[in-house]
Amino acid sequence: MSGLMVDRELCIGCGRCVKACASAGIELVGERPNRFARPTDSCVFCGSCVDACPVDAISIEKDERADAAELASYAGIWVFAQVDDEGRVLPVAFELLGRARELAAERGCRVSAVLGEGAEAPSANEELLIAAGADEVLVCRDERLAHRDAEVFARWICDLARPRKPEAILYGATAFGRELAPGVAVRLQTGLTADCTVLAMDPETGLLQQTRPAFGGNLMATIVCPAHRPQMATVRPGVFAAPEFDSTRMGTVSEVSLDDSVVPRVRVLGYETADAGASIADAERLLVVGRGIGSKKNLPLMRELADALGAKLGCTRPLVESGWLEYPHQVGQTGVSVAPKLLVSLGVSGAIQHLAGIGGAQTVIAVNDDPDAPIFGAAHYKVVGDCIEVAEALLETLHS
Amino acid sequence: MRIVVCVKAVPSTTEVKMDPVTNTIVRDGRQAVVNPFDATALELALRIKDERAAAGEHVDVTVLSMGIPDTERLLRDCIARGADDGLLLSDRAFAGADTLATAYALTCGIESMGAPVDLVICGKMAVDGDTAQIGPELAGALDVPCIAGVERLVELCGKVLSAERATDAGREFVEVELPAVITVAKDAAQLRMPSIAGVLAAEDAPVAVRTAADVKADPTRTGLAGSPTQVVRSFVPERAHEAVPVEGTAAEQAAALATLIEEACR
Amino acid sequence: MVDMLPMTPEFGEYLRDESRSVGTADSISFPRTEDEIRSVLRSLHGVSGADGKPVAITVQGARTGLAAGAVPSGGHVMNLSRATAYLGLSRDEDGTYLLRVQPGVILSELRRHLARHTVPTDGWDRASLDALEELYAGPEQFFPTDPTETSACVGGMAACNASGARSYAYGPMRPHVRALRVALADGDVVALRRGEVRARARRLTLATESGRTLELDLPTYTMPCTKNASGYFVEDDMDAIDLFIGSDGTLGIICELELALMPTPAVSWGVNCFFASESDAIDFTCAVRPVLSDACAIEYFDADALNILRRQRERSTAFSALPAMDDAWSCCVYVELACSSREQALAELARLGDIARDCGGSNAATWVGRTDIDRETQRFFRHAVPESVNMLIDERRRTDPTITKLGSDMSVPDERLRDVMALYRADLAAAGLESAAWGHIGNNHLHVNVLPRNTADYAAGKRLFEKWARAVTDMGGAVSAEHGVGKLKRSFLAVMYGEQHICEMASLKRQLDPYLQLGQGNLFELETCERGA
Repeated sequence: MSGLMVDRELCIGCGRCVKACASAGIELVGERPNRFARPTDSCVFCGSCVDACPVDAISIEKDERADAAELASYAGIWVFAQVDDEGRVLPVAFELLGRARELAAERGCRVSAVLGEGAEAPSANEELLIAAGADEVLVCRDERLAHRDAEVFARWICDLARPRKPEAILYGATAFGRELAPGVAVRLQTGLTADCTVLAMDPETGLLQQTRPAFGGNLMATIVCPAHRPQMATVRPGVFAAPEFDSTRMGTVSEVSLDDSVVPRVRVLGYETADAGASIADAERLLVVGRGIGSKKNLPLMRELADALGAKLGCTRPLVESGWLEYPHQVGQTGVSVAPKLLVSLGVSGAIQHLAGIGGAQTVIAVNDDPDAPIFGAAHYKVVGDCIEVAEALLETLHS
Repeated sequence: MRIVVCVKAVPSTTEVKMDPVTNTIVRDGRQAVVNPFDATALELALRIKDERAAAGEHVDVTVLSMGIPDTERLLRDCIARGADDGLLLSDRAFAGADTLATAYALTCGIESMGAPVDLVICGKMAVDGDTAQIGPELAGALDVPCIAGVERLVELCGKVLSAERATDAGREFVEVELPAVITVAKDAAQLRMPSIAGVLAAEDAPVAVRTAADVKADPTRTGLAGSPTQVVRSFVPERAHEAVPVEGTAAEQAAALATLIEEACR
Repeated sequence: MVDMLPMTPEFGEYLRDESRSVGTADSISFPRTEDEIRSVLRSLHGVSGADGKPVAITVQGARTGLAAGAVPSGGHVMNLSRATAYLGLSRDEDGTYLLRVQPGVILSELRRHLARHTVPTDGWDRASLDALEELYAGPEQFFPTDPTETSACVGGMAACNASGARSYAYGPMRPHVRALRVALADGDVVALRRGEVRARARRLTLATESGRTLELDLPTYTMPCTKNASGYFVEDDMDAIDLFIGSDGTLGIICELELALMPTPAVSWGVNCFFASESDAIDFTCAVRPVLSDACAIEYFDADALNILRRQRERSTAFSALPAMDDAWSCCVYVELACSSREQALAELARLGDIARDCGGSNAATWVGRTDIDRETQRFFRHAVPESVNMLIDERRRTDPTITKLGSDMSVPDERLRDVMALYRADLAAAGLESAAWGHIGNNHLHVNVLPRNTADYAAGKRLFEKWARAVTDMGGAVSAEHGVGKLKRSFLAVMYGEQHICEMASLKRQLDPYLQLGQGNLFELETCERGA
């Protein structure tokens, strides 16, 4: 049997599953005390009821006839080593190697780095990958790999994986990694978990537990791939710490080829590298100032602080209205909505219209001398104090 | 020429509410909407249709979805905005699909259309799943090239489509010969609103509802059975709701802030 | 006791409101409770300031008003933006939900809490909690008054009897306020519940909670039969609560409100209909009004307004989300449908399309907003008009700071719509002024905005408005239909009601506020009050 299962012995008929279900996929039948939950035809197997059940009476069962011997024939963790336009391996690949090394130690297996580069690429990357934790580097230098064409790379990796049978393949969740990995998954007919933030090895089953955010980060889900190999995941850059490079580590380098039949089908007509003057909407770090900075005279201090923070400068509507800053700096409902990693807010009271524009910020640090300023309701950290004083002190700290 | 736009029904809000008593996720019964990325995909298809129409060529835009029967309502809304017809894959056998099984079902749907499909446009990702996998998997399954993450459709000249997309390093201008799959960023276009004429006409427009058997899907490759991945646990991440005060002298506060800033940017 | 803080530069924003006029003040307080409001009033009652006159007390809410009602004229500012508690919920015999709140509750927050079922319940009794559970379990409820600025607070909305687009169907704030607690200038409180205290003809007896009885003579004027927020609401045998709603902070301070909620309509669609000429749009409005039973808003945007939007869309990324408009479209009528079923909405939509066609439009030159995203786009479209005009004026103010926006707020009876539109057009053309007009055409209530390029334009615009105030009064209309009179439209009020009636208003005020401290300069000047004594 496969599908949503309710253990009638355990079910207490509390109805939490029914409340948790968004698709009327479960209902209560019978009268108390013999009431119990029963799945309906509308169930979409989303698992909400499984999590909502207080007595673990609900489960999603799948009768997969996984061939144990077949699964056992897969071994080793691969890490896709993406390189940038200058031929440098991206930091996320090293971060993944570091984590793969730890997972491999638990699992007792090898770590391989998969490196595809243009025909003329220098051969320094193999050593770095080994120093970062790879036991083996599978490298192919071929002009068709000089440009990052997801289809070409996918077909190449599939050709490598079919005979070599890795147990898992990890990719950086870069724009390219997130296009490449599904191309591999569909060709190998295996599972893929996007954008993971946690990877762990289940000590009992040996399955890779892949945890990822969903619903815009409002929900986390842990996902496994029990009966298909390789298990595949993309991982956000910066999730894992970069490993210490150990130049004394030993590893093998295997040159592999790319099948002649693989021909790029997407032609690149041109490209440009990102310009630094992008708008505050894309800024990773943002310093937002409000009327609380007192006077226009303090703006140079704020600019200096923004530079020291590596941040772009935003402001509230009154500052634009007073002509202190131009409209493109205005953050809020009628200005620009921002989603930086870091938002430092100085002297901003936090009008609703402003708060509406900063909802996407990951970390908000607010400074205001009014302990009841609404901005603090949207902040993760707050400093109640004079924002000029704090700005000056912070600038000094950052410079030292 | 035929364009297929893949759309997914998603919850109208991605906000997750917690039941304070049971500490579980409450999914309120709000009506599903078209995934905003897919709405952009539809607009790009409709622009191609408009341009070609100006040149005297008819372009058929079909909206394709896999979902519960209520999804027909959303396909009808797409038709009100200018799509020609809709195909809804709706069957118990499709339920519980992960991206691989979904891509397979959509492939079966496209192949069931009979007429050759020149272009498949998908949203880059769905707001409820954020996987961004369907487009590239669909391209792999159909064995056609894929341009993922299109931010601007430059032009469609004969059977050659050129587009601009964001890459890890910046932007890239690429072209591809049809048939192809493209996935589009949300801001690439804004979906037009329907007119009164469109809304009224869509009430009687054709939306085909097909089962797995109708589109000759292999039951071992659809739905729960055809999904390699399995969710074993979902939970709401902990988040500080109360701002943490940073206290002390200005210098002490500054030092603490510097540390927090460093952490935030890591 | 709540702090009385000196008016230092950091509080500068509390000297102004959305009208962009700036006042002066010596001190400010942010009371959070009725007791704190009363203690501030008691400590200032009859107290003289440095000039030897009783200290003026200006009450503020969210400062979103457009008539400078919250701009202080010296003295003390009492800002109620921190009195934001939700106090309880009950149901009346008809099953209507009545929500008790403090005046600083922000409309958008109120809406959000109702929609998301997150109404704060700190300190609620069992009965209120039970009622809330019932509310959450039943059909979604909403508060119908919808001023354009959703960051307005409910206290301010009651004080100026705010309206919005949906006032076409639901009326202004007034009918939705079931009860008020009002602190008088001496700190005493009157508790008013609709239906409990009525005037006899024009004489009203009010009992305060401290046991005093006030005998009030109400002004003798007759109000126009149009949408109206000009001066005190008075009529024979009126309900006492109506005197305080729309009194612009001059009679007392609202400490608590009981708001009547309504079930959210099952289907709510917005329809923008575009026309090639203003006369087509007016024909359409007149044709739609008697036929469409489910319209809850009928709004207009003229050619200048649409052109400003077109320009903004090109120029500013913040406005790039505005949908593209065909160049052939000159003006727009927006109709909001609130229906009980989808079938009914489709039928109304078909009717709307037919009427548009009959009036020179087409059912293709329309936008139908049915999804949240489209409704949001339509909302953005509507709000982008005043927003863009404000930005334009701000830009011009940098070169000439004497310029401010000149926006009219006048309404006339249905049968005078064509006349008033003809008057506006003829006068604007003759004066050679730049303008943009939009607003609540369903209520014959447009905001005609003069966009002065220089001081001369500004003066010419002001003259036009004075002329229109007289003309609109002659047509049986109101000089302020929704923004209130505040400080900016005092002269219009004088035109509308005449000096005698203004003196009656002032004398009524004096009976409740003997030292003339509250809302000084709102509705009439201090001198008028003093004369009115």
